[in-house]
Amino acid sequence: MNEEDDGTLVRRCRDGDRAAFEQLVIRYQKAVYNAALRLLRDAEEARDVAQTTFLKVFEHLADYDPSFKFYSWIYRIAVNESLNVLGRRRPHEQISGEEADGAPGPDRLIEGQEARRAIEDALMRISPELRTVIVLRHFMHLSYQDMGEILVLPEKTVKSRLYSARQLLRDSLVQHGAT
Amino acid sequence: MADAARLALIHAEIDGELDARQRAELARSLLADPETRALREDLKRLCTALDGVEQVEPPAQLLTNVLAALPRSHPMPAQSWWSATVWRYAATLAGVLVTGAIVFALLDGQRPAATDVAGTLAGQRAATTLDTVQLSDGPVAGRVTLTRDGADLGLRLELRASAPVDVFVAGGGYTFRINGLGRQDGPDAGRRTVALPGFRMDGQAVNLTFLMAGQEVGRATLKAKTGQ
Repeated sequence: MNEEDDGTLVRRCRDGDRAAFEQLVIRYQKAVYNAALRLLRDAEEARDVAQTTFLKVFEHLADYDPSFKFYSWIYRIAVNESLNVLGRRRPHEQISGEEADGAPGPDRLIEGQEARRAIEDALMRISPELRTVIVLRHFMHLSYQDMGEILVLPEKTVKSRLYSARQLLRDSLVQHGAT
Repeated sequence: MADAARLALIHAEIDGELDARQRAELARSLLADPETRALREDLKRLCTALDGVEQVEPPAQLLTNVLAALPRSHPMPAQSWWSATVWRYAATLAGVLVTGAIVFALLDGQRPAATDVAGTLAGQRAATTLDTVQLSDGPVAGRVTLTRDGADLGLRLELRASAPVDVFVAGGGYTFRINGLGRQDGPDAGRRTVALPGFRMDGQAVNLTFLMAGQEVGRATLKAKTGQ
């Protein structure tokens, strides 16, 4: 059976078809959860953000403009929700990067678990705005155009942020690494 | 080559966005400068590692929880251009009529004396109960009250449960979640009063879903009836 595209499912949802909404949740739950998880580094908060994101999507389906990609819209809600959670964290609740002391430098980054952890630590040391572009580009594999749509920024600004984010990430890994 | 320009070329190369001229420019820079070569290698390795981070599976109960928390009413289709325009004109016309009536009343000497209206505003600020739901058959018991304070709606929760309760609140295009009611011990542990900013008093339902440990354990619906 052919999978229905997002637009068709959205139209069915607007007509009151809950099964169509379930299809949308199944389709996007992994991406939304992972985006929140990488931004927050807290599984429970990521789960809450994912739930809230889908509920907001359902509540605001009538406001969705079909001239935009559906996934851009849903990712924008997820990113904004995650940034809201980060904004509400008190300073001592921020995940610190201290546990990354002694983490491997970039010359060893391709090594499995250790590499993943070093990257996650380094990600939490850069600002949420810069972390967001890394998540969208490298973890969700989105184009500059999609990222611009999600972040409501010109592509040029998206690129500039991404370059800065990579540079800071690299510097952070070098600083905390063995090189 | 300036640092920023050299960096931009490296990043663009990683993203596969270099044209032939830029590629040649970068190649010259790499040949001439070992530092640029090292930086490029670092960034390429970093991006390969970032791209290789695998996605994790979402919690198994995520889908169930989302579906359980959906409000019963389905989202309405967006208004058509025609109907939106008609409402805009209607609102403008209503505004003109109201303004006209006020101006007429003032010019006609109909404005009441200050003593006639003194004190009539004070009573409106007290919170009024609009709807109440008693919860008795389930793991969550107690009472939820929908209140009005001036133009604002609010929700008063007085719950009893054996474990912390999360409450999803949905209605009128707004959704939010109250976490961990009853997390601490004490008589006020299950009590919470929250404002409902954005919720309208036009007969719309306010849907509540109660969750314990991520599982739905109850529902309730309150209504802000028109005219109350």
